[in-house]
Amino acid sequence: MLGKLIKYDLKSMSRAFIPMWLLAPVVALMLSFSIRGTVAWANQSRLGSLFVVGNGLLMAIMGILFFGALVGLFVMTVVFVIQRFWNGLLKEEGYLMFTLPVKTWELVVSKALTATLVSGVSILMGIFSGMILAVFSTEEVIRSLSMAWKYVFSEIIELGPTFWLNVLLFILLLILGTAQSIYHAYAAMAIGHLFQTHKVVGSCVSYIAISITVSIVSNIVNAIVSTALPDNWFNYWSYDLMEMMSTAYLLYLILGTFLELVVYHVITERILSTKLNLE
Amino acid sequence: MSGMLIQCQEVWKNYGSKRALQGLNLQLESGKIVGLLGPNGSGKTTLIKTLNGLLTPDHGVVLVDGEEPGTYTKSIVSYLPDKPYFAGWMKVSDLFDLFEDFYEDFDRQKADQMCKALQIDERLRMKTLSKGTKEKVQLILVMSRQARLYLLDEPIAGVDPAARDYILSTILNNYNPEGTVLISTHLISDVERVLDEVVFIRDGRVVFQDLVDNIREKEGKSVDELFREVFRTVPFGGGEW
Repeated sequence: MLGKLIKYDLKSMSRAFIPMWLLAPVVALMLSFSIRGTVAWANQSRLGSLFVVGNGLLMAIMGILFFGALVGLFVMTVVFVIQRFWNGLLKEEGYLMFTLPVKTWELVVSKALTATLVSGVSILMGIFSGMILAVFSTEEVIRSLSMAWKYVFSEIIELGPTFWLNVLLFILLLILGTAQSIYHAYAAMAIGHLFQTHKVVGSCVSYIAISITVSIVSNIVNAIVSTALPDNWFNYWSYDLMEMMSTAYLLYLILGTFLELVVYHVITERILSTKLNLE
Repeated sequence: MSGMLIQCQEVWKNYGSKRALQGLNLQLESGKIVGLLGPNGSGKTTLIKTLNGLLTPDHGVVLVDGEEPGTYTKSIVSYLPDKPYFAGWMKVSDLFDLFEDFYEDFDRQKADQMCKALQIDERLRMKTLSKGTKEKVQLILVMSRQARLYLLDEPIAGVDPAARDYILSTILNNYNPEGTVLISTHLISDVERVLDEVVFIRDGRVVFQDLVDNIREKEGKSVDELFREVFRTVPFGGGEW
């Protein structure tokens, strides 16, 4: 049943996102060409300054459009993630979803997985658009980028397996962090749903209250962990030690993020299972 | 107690300070068309949502086919809410796909045929349909299931008399005869002819429950007449209508 729910949720989200995912790289491409054109016109002194000004104006418009597309993508992702949960489960559409013969955890996990996936693709499309902008704009940028890449690549291949492990752990942390942020909003909305009136305000207040609580708890845990570490480990500083410490720190962050995510999931699922009130 | 499709014991539900259900007790058997009758605000919708699991009671026991509202009960209950619950982007065919995916008792062929009979284009998105057509789609979805329990919340409210007839005949012609249909309404005269049993509800309590035949035989009244008697209030300024 979870697979079927994910299919339904992906369908409802992707139809709104696909145009935006396509728009950002297309605008980036147009902007890069207008930058390239402006530089080329400016280098040809025989042409009148009017061309340069005209193309510069086009470049500015494209720049605003590109920036707007990126901001739009970000805002739309945040709004959609919230709206799909709020409208999809806690408003009229909830009548449909909560009368399907599925478990509440399946409804929550389906929403969280699709929202994480959509957020991930949005981030990737943002990065991809930035790369398109860089690669297609001017020869200088391309040259600098290729030089930088050659240098980075030559350095990277020298690195050992711990480095790659850390890269993988970092990617895992990013994915978990995205899911955790989404679950944070879900838990806040579920708590807000318990309010008799002003449920939106209740959700916002809950979000802030959760943030403060998590901040206090994580500070206490960090303080405890740091006191447990030996004070003089800096004396044995080495590259291997640094790599090892990075791995340990990443694992620590992953564990913390995962635990936070689990707590949010349990809060959301329990409230929707035992306190559901679709009035 | 066993053999009952619906069992409610001392069910209480409050909305803040407002009491919607106040120790409601109800038992219903299978294979009947039952009218859940009461004035506006008497607790009909709250009871139906509680049976569906959309509302959690504050106290009391709610059982459908011997189980608390959950995955099993949802698989045997077909629910018609009092307002549309569709996402606007969905096409009629998307909704049929969804029901086909999740409900084993959904008869896609029947849904397609009903759609065709009503000249509803399945390729249209819900947001483009009129209010009346949306309600028809909702009715098609609900009545294309061979459910054990149909919970129909105000299915004929806000429609003209001709549409009421159409809705009631659709229900009568398509429900699973082995199941129970619970129709909530305050439009008694329209539904009276199709009912086997009636439950009167007032202030969140069941105040009367009997078979329609018994009412006619014992009381010598129609359900509509009995309803007016039970729920009669003295008009402002006194006097009778």
